[in-house]
Amino acid sequence: MFPKFSLRSMFHGAGGGNDIQWCFSQVKGAVDDDVAEADIISTVEFNHSGELLATGDKGGRVVIFQQEQENKIQSHSRGEYNVYSTFQSHEPEFDYLKSLEIEEKINKIRWLPQKNAAQFLLSTNDKTIKLWKISERDKRPEGYNLKEEDGRYRDPTTVTTLRVPVFRPMDLMVEASPRRIFANAHTYHINSISINSDYETYLSADDLRINLWHLEITDRSFNIVDIKPANMEELTEVITAAEFHPNSCNTFVYSSSKGTIRLCDMRASALCDRHSKLFEEPEDPSNRSFFSEIISSISDVKFSHSGRYMMTRDYLSVKIWDLNMENRPVETYQVHEYLRSKLCSLYENDCIFDKFECCWNGSDSVVMTGSYNNFFRMFDRNTKRDITLEASRENNKPRTVLKPRKVCASGKRKKDEISVDSLDFNKKILHTAWHPKENIIAVATTNNLYIFQDKVN
Amino acid sequence: MEVQKEAQRIMTLSVWKMYHSRMQRGGLRLHRSLQLSLVMRSARELYLSAKVEALEPEVSLPPACPSDPRLHPPREVESTVETATADGEQPSPEPMDTQEAPTAEEIPAYSAPRPAKVSRKRRSSSLRDGGDAGLVPSKKARLEEKEEEEGLSSEVADRLQPPPAQAEGAFPNLARVLQRRFSGLLNCSPAAPPTAPPACEAKPACRPADSMLNVLVRTVVAF
Repeated sequence: MFPKFSLRSMFHGAGGGNDIQWCFSQVKGAVDDDVAEADIISTVEFNHSGELLATGDKGGRVVIFQQEQENKIQSHSRGEYNVYSTFQSHEPEFDYLKSLEIEEKINKIRWLPQKNAAQFLLSTNDKTIKLWKISERDKRPEGYNLKEEDGRYRDPTTVTTLRVPVFRPMDLMVEASPRRIFANAHTYHINSISINSDYETYLSADDLRINLWHLEITDRSFNIVDIKPANMEELTEVITAAEFHPNSCNTFVYSSSKGTIRLCDMRASALCDRHSKLFEEPEDPSNRSFFSEIISSISDVKFSHSGRYMMTRDYLSVKIWDLNMENRPVETYQVHEYLRSKLCSLYENDCIFDKFECCWNGSDSVVMTGSYNNFFRMFDRNTKRDITLEASRENNKPRTVLKPRKVCASGKRKKDEISVDSLDFNKKILHTAWHPKENIIAVATTNNLYIFQDKVN
Repeated sequence: MEVQKEAQRIMTLSVWKMYHSRMQRGGLRLHRSLQLSLVMRSARELYLSAKVEALEPEVSLPPACPSDPRLHPPREVESTVETATADGEQPSPEPMDTQEAPTAEEIPAYSAPRPAKVSRKRRSSSLRDGGDAGLVPSKKARLEEKEEEEGLSSEVADRLQPPPAQAEGAFPNLARVLQRRFSGLLNCSPAAPPTAPPACEAKPACRPADSMLNVLVRTVVAF
C-alpha cells in the first residue's frame, strides 16, 4: 500500500504540522539594495487577533499593517496585509546630564488585548515606553448650527433656525495618539517589555533591573528585580530578556547573558531578587571554546501560549524548557551548528553579538527563528522535522511555494546547497512573528518585511 | 606561538571594539562591554598560559594565576584577574608607556635569543612595578604587539573592521588615552563618553561612579 505520509513531505521534510507548504504572500519595504539605516526593522509583532501586524524600525517609526477581510469567493489565499497606520513613535533625544544620545530605535512593540473599538500598543526605545492609541474615524459631524463647514462661526444674526449636526461617512482615517509616556525609570538600555495577563500592569527590563508599571500611572514604577552589584567591578551577568507568564499574573521570567533563566513569583516578595526557579543547563565540556561564554547568552525568551513551556534562543540553538524541570531543556534544536567553527570570524565581524528572536506558532507545535543569508528555520516539535527557508525577492510570485534550503557544512557541496563560506552575514533575520491563529508568518530581513502563508488548496 | 599570536590578536581586536563601542549612538552598551571584557579576559588567560608553557620555569607567576584558566569557572578567574590588576593599576600611564622601550627591544619576533631577553626584561620590570608579575606579561604584550604590528600590520588590517589604519596608528597611544580618560571618568557620572566636559573630571564629587567603567579600565590596564 502507499505510505501514509504524502510525497510532499518526503522531499521537503516540511516543518509544520500536517506538512505545511509555505508560500510567498507579500513583501513590504524598499527594493533598494542601499539600505537607509532608519529603515532597518527592529521589531515585528502580531496583535492578539492577528488582524494587525506592527513593525518598528531604527528610525523610531511604527508601521501597522491590517489584514483585509477574507474574500470568501477567492478562497485560495487569506487576506493581504496593507498599511493601516504609520506614525513616529520615538524621536532621538539627548541626555544632557550624561552627554549621551538616546537612540530612537524601537526595541519592542507589544499589543494590548482589544477592549473597545480602538487598538492600543506599547512601544519602547532604550529609555522610554509609550502607550499608543490607534483609532479609526470614518464619520464626521456635518451641519453645525452655529459654524460654517470650514469651522468659522456664522454671524449670529444670520442664524434663524435650529439645525442638529448629523454624522456622515467620510474616508477612513486612522489616528495614532500617545496616551501615556513612561519615562525616566531606566538607567540602562531597555531590552524587553511584557504585558501582564491582568491587562493592567506590564514590566520593562533593562540590563540590570526590571520595573513593574501600571498602564494608567506614568510617574511611578516598582522595581521588582535588581541585579546591579554594589561594586560594578563584580558584574558578571546582565538581564537579556523578560516576559510575563501568559496565564499567571504573578509569574514572570528573565534570562541572562550567562544562559540562565530565572522564574520569579511576585507574591513571594516585593523585590524578586531571589528566584523561585532557576533554569540552567550544564555546559557540554566538549563544546567549550574561547567564545563559549558569549554564545551562551540568551537573546530571547518566550512562553508558549499554553504557559507550560518556554523557549530560549542563544546564538546557536533554540531550547524548549518545561517549567517543571529546571536542570535541562526538554528539547534543543540547532539553528546553525555549522557556525560553531567560525566563531572567531563572527567575533571579528560582530555577528556573534547578533540577538536573534524566536516565536511559537498558535498551537505551540512549531517554533521559528532566524539565521543568516536571509534564512529562517522552523522546528516541528511533534515530527522532529526542521526546515530552512529563505526570504528573498527571487521567490516573489504570490503562492510560489518556498523551496527548502540547505547549508553544506563541510565536504562536498551537493547541488542546491550553499556552503558556509558563501553565506551572506549581512543578511540576517533577527525578528520573526507567527500569526496567533493561522499559518501566516512575518519575517523581517534588514529593511523588508516578508509575509508567508501556508498553501491553501 | 600560534596560540599566543591568536590570543594577542583577539585582545587587540577586543580593545578596539571596546573603544569603538563608546563612539556608537546610544552610548556604551553594558551587555556588549561585558561580553567584550569576557573575551578579552579569556584571550589574556590563554595568552598567559601559552606564554608560561613557552618560557623557562624561572619566570614565576603569582600562585593565584591558574595554569589552565579555561578549566576554571569564570568567577574564580575573574577574582584572580582583579587581584593581579588591582595591585598593578597606577595613577600614571607608566605600565602602558611603550615609548620607554629601548629600540634594542625591537628584534624580530622569533629569533632565538629572545626568550632570554624576555625573562631579563620581565624581572627588571617586575622590580620596577613593585613585584607584580601580573602586569609584566602585559608590558611584554605591548612590546610584542608593537613589533608584530609593524611586521603583521597588513594582516591585521585585513581582518579588522574599517578603519584599520586609524586603529593601528592609535594603538600605541590608545591605552594611555583610554586610561587617562577612564581615570577621570571613574569619578564622574555613569557612562559619560570621553568628550564629557572638563568640569566633570576636575570635580570628583559627581554622582557615584558607575564602575562598569572600572571593569573596562581594569581589563584595559591588564592588557
